[in-house]
Amino acid sequence: MTRSTDVLQLTGVTRVHGEGATAVRALHSVSFIASAGELVAVMGPSGSGKSTLLTLAGGLDTPTEGTVAVEGRDLGSLRQAELARMRRTSIGYVFQDFNLIPALTAAENVAMPLELDGARTRKARDAARTALEEVGIGDLADRFPDQMSGGQQQRVAIARAVVGERRLILADEPTGALDTETGEEILRLLRARCDAGAAGVLVTHEARHAAWADRVVFLRDGVVVDETGSSPVDALLEPGLTR
Amino acid sequence: MSVSGGRFTHWWTGWRLALRVAARDARRARGRSILVLVMIALPVLAVTAADVVISTAEVNAAEGLDRRLGAADARVISQNAADVVEYQAPDPDDGLAYGGRRDGRRPTLEDVTDVLGGGRPAVSVRDGVRRVRTDAGVATAMAVETDLADPLTDGLARLTEGRWPRADDEVVVNQALLDRGSQLGGELELVTVGADDTRTIVGTAESTIFRDQPFVAAGPGALGLPQSGRDEWLLGGGPVSWSQVLDLNRLGLLVLSRAVVLDPPASTMADEYTGSDDAAAAVLALVVAMVLLEVVLLAGPAFAVGAKRQTRTLALMAASGGSPPQARRVVLGSAIVLGGLASLGGVGLGIGLGWALLPLAQRFSGEWFGPFQVPWLQLAGIASFGLVSALLAALVPAWIASRQDVVAVLGGRRGDRPPSRRSPLLGLLVLGAGVAGSAYGARADQNGEAVIAASAVVAVLGMIALVPVVVAAVARVAGRLPLPVRYAARDAARHRTRTVPAVAAVAATVAGVVALGIAVTSDEAENRGEYTASLPAGMGSVTATSGAPPDWAAMRRAAEAQVPDATVIDMRGVREGARGWTDLRFRHDDGAVRLSGWGSTMGSSILVGPAALPVALPDQPATTWQRAERVLADGGVLVFGAEPATGVDRLTVKAAVHPPRGRAERTSAVAPALVVPVTNGYAPFRAVLSDELAQELGLTVSPVGLLVDGDLAPADEERLSDAVGEVSARADVYVERGYQTPDETVIVQLVLAGLGALLMLGGTLTATFLALSDARPDLATLAAVGAGPRTRRAVAAAYALVVGLVGAVLGAAVGFVPGIAVTFPLTGRGWTDAGQAEGHYLDVPWLLVLGVVVALPLLTAAIVGLAARSRLPLASRLD
Repeated sequence: MTRSTDVLQLTGVTRVHGEGATAVRALHSVSFIASAGELVAVMGPSGSGKSTLLTLAGGLDTPTEGTVAVEGRDLGSLRQAELARMRRTSIGYVFQDFNLIPALTAAENVAMPLELDGARTRKARDAARTALEEVGIGDLADRFPDQMSGGQQQRVAIARAVVGERRLILADEPTGALDTETGEEILRLLRARCDAGAAGVLVTHEARHAAWADRVVFLRDGVVVDETGSSPVDALLEPGLTR
Repeated sequence: MSVSGGRFTHWWTGWRLALRVAARDARRARGRSILVLVMIALPVLAVTAADVVISTAEVNAAEGLDRRLGAADARVISQNAADVVEYQAPDPDDGLAYGGRRDGRRPTLEDVTDVLGGGRPAVSVRDGVRRVRTDAGVATAMAVETDLADPLTDGLARLTEGRWPRADDEVVVNQALLDRGSQLGGELELVTVGADDTRTIVGTAESTIFRDQPFVAAGPGALGLPQSGRDEWLLGGGPVSWSQVLDLNRLGLLVLSRAVVLDPPASTMADEYTGSDDAAAAVLALVVAMVLLEVVLLAGPAFAVGAKRQTRTLALMAASGGSPPQARRVVLGSAIVLGGLASLGGVGLGIGLGWALLPLAQRFSGEWFGPFQVPWLQLAGIASFGLVSALLAALVPAWIASRQDVVAVLGGRRGDRPPSRRSPLLGLLVLGAGVAGSAYGARADQNGEAVIAASAVVAVLGMIALVPVVVAAVARVAGRLPLPVRYAARDAARHRTRTVPAVAAVAATVAGVVALGIAVTSDEAENRGEYTASLPAGMGSVTATSGAPPDWAAMRRAAEAQVPDATVIDMRGVREGARGWTDLRFRHDDGAVRLSGWGSTMGSSILVGPAALPVALPDQPATTWQRAERVLADGGVLVFGAEPATGVDRLTVKAAVHPPRGRAERTSAVAPALVVPVTNGYAPFRAVLSDELAQELGLTVSPVGLLVDGDLAPADEERLSDAVGEVSARADVYVERGYQTPDETVIVQLVLAGLGALLMLGGTLTATFLALSDARPDLATLAAVGAGPRTRRAVAAAYALVVGLVGAVLGAAVGFVPGIAVTFPLTGRGWTDAGQAEGHYLDVPWLLVLGVVVALPLLTAAIVGLAARSRLPLASRLD
């Protein structure tokens, strides 16, 4: 059933917050697959369950029903420590507000997953510098987050999400805090990482960002209401913007 | 007032807003508020409880009067038949003088009422002691003879059971006496020289003065207390004025008047006796300063974090026209709210705790406490101490909050300005002044300790100003450290307002512990160094205290029977005591007189024969032993001097035997001599003579003690002591065990280490707790990028380690200065002209220092790491 190219597979995932009368169903029986080399956009209005989907995909939360598998491993069957290890080695997060640690330099922020995984400091730093060069800010490696612009910080966040050969990138409104032009730059970077072989899940509410995706999943009230095929949604592209 | 009325309203409006914001904030950030409340309330509570207990235990003038006067207005004492009372203090116990002869008739109650006007009720009262028989034997009881049923005596004793005595053969006694075998309704036997006398116990009554001493009371004359020419009456019928007291004085009567004691006349000689203790006040001021400093430093971080949380609010206020003072007020407002709450709560709980502790405290005191007392004025002072410490703790955060970069804060960038360049420079200067003060104190002729203590506080203040620089430097070198430590160090440096006070609190504690530790250990080293062994280690001696010589042969047999492994040697010497004394003088060929020591460890200062060598030369090398043996074999003498007189080999010995009465018998002889050097100017004996020399000088030699040569264990010592004790009650056994560290020293060191640990834990936990709550988003990020559950623990531990270690190292470095300095006035005897310290001891308690600087921070880090929740929070965006 699972193909080797399927990096993320959600099967019948339901997530209920709270119990009894106060129970809120954030997701209901959601299934979808993100394959290697593919960027999937998840769209929907506020409260549709987009962010819940990302926390489940990243193993930060567990589904009430259904299974979440990353690289063929059911996250529900893993212990906390193994989950953390998955996040260090297989899954990368990009947040709307960057979530860099202000006390650490850019290179140290990027090296963090590797260091947490037990890599030698020097090796981790080297990998971090390479990752920063890939996102085009190799010269800012020793700056602290508050010495950088928002776009530069988000590049650092992307470098942190991809460092160390991780195959699943989960991006939660990564351009939300950026101006249009910088946002496009960031999406181009994400797209490039997916083209290089990673699977990407991009949560966004802006239709034009979905244009960068291979597929778009529409969520409303926790249910997948529409799913475009594997064909690019060129119709949503604004004129003059091509990848 | 009318002009400033508007200004006041304006001023109050500004504060009202600040206080409202502060109160809301205190309610919202409950954990932090509780932390501050506890930090400030705890010392306030402890001091309040102590104050309540002490002022209740203290008997003030009015309470004391009730105990001595009962319900009466005055107590009149007639005890001198011949003289006029020339002077009496308002309370005659404080001072009195008789002078000027009178007619010689002892004044009576009629004389008193003549002066004071008739119609005054009076009752005779007499205090004394009475020997009574108890189960265990005979006890001395405090006794009072008076009519206890009379309203005037109400307050002298409290009836707890039964009734007051009505007949002459009835008494009341207190519980302490009942506990010794008497019973209510039973008989009390009074022990008298002639025949014993019995009384019936009709009640239990507690004296209002004595608690645990036996007490017996009965009607006038019923206990047969000796008259000894003294009559006392309690008088009622209205106040007795000072002029009436003076009138009675002229009749030779002493008066204790309630009205006069409570409202003493303006000029009496008693005023001259009051004085103040400057040194005690200075020490108290230093202690208060240090406690205030610790409280401020411990509570400071919480206010810093509060101010940090409010940065956005404050920036918004500034953007909408708020001035820097208004921003300051918001932060100071939380200090007023929390400090006020903590002070009131601390005082309230402290009063309760003090009340609860009274029964326990009473058990340790032989005198009854006064009625429960709350010294409101002092408590107000203690409460304002709490409020002031809160305000001081909030001062720096408030100041920083008022000068933050509004644009940077609203733009989401950090608002902390770079550290000031001036404050470390100032810190260095102040620290230098502290060090200089310590150096001065070390060389001062007097009050050195006080100067050093004051300069230690100065040095700690200077050090606090240096903490930001040190924290920043640690962050800079942290790049190579593992992630949790690096994160902690960098984060600590970024949030200086939170970190610096915590580090400073730890540093101040460690500085104090190290300084006191060095002082105590060096003092101990002096005691050890100046200790002079009386005997070689493990050897024992048996001597007898003054009096007739005991049966030494029997003692010897007893000793030999108890410690068969040891050799018992007879010590002989020239006896001293009731039958006169013997004086020895030594003169060298050059005419100089050599004085020897005066010690008499063995019951005599002049020993005779080679058997005395172990006692005379306990610490000396073998060569000295051989020479001493040779000198004694040659019929010579051993004398003791401060330095070895190498050139001396013959001395003229002059003896003077003084009988109890009459002229001394003088003899002299020239003999080979050895001057044995003694340490610390202490000579064990005046001389050890050879038998030949003693004979030549005509001295009477007799046994003075026994020497038990063997390695005596404590059990041997006990048996030996019991055995010789049976032969003579005056026998004294001593076994040389070298210097024994007194328990107090060990206890002081343990208390120091414990106090250091407690305060370090407090400071570290505060900083770590606040840092972790601040670091929530960072920890969420760490979780999202794959940090395991242990990472949060590691970060918490690393935080504690950074705060504890930096504080401890800084504190130890600063603490060494006053610690070393204070050893000079403490152990030294002064300075030579060449600038060398004489008799100075310095012993650094490295174990304590290492424990406080290395082990304690590691231990705290481990505790914090284990106690921290391991669950990582979810990023707020993903909640």
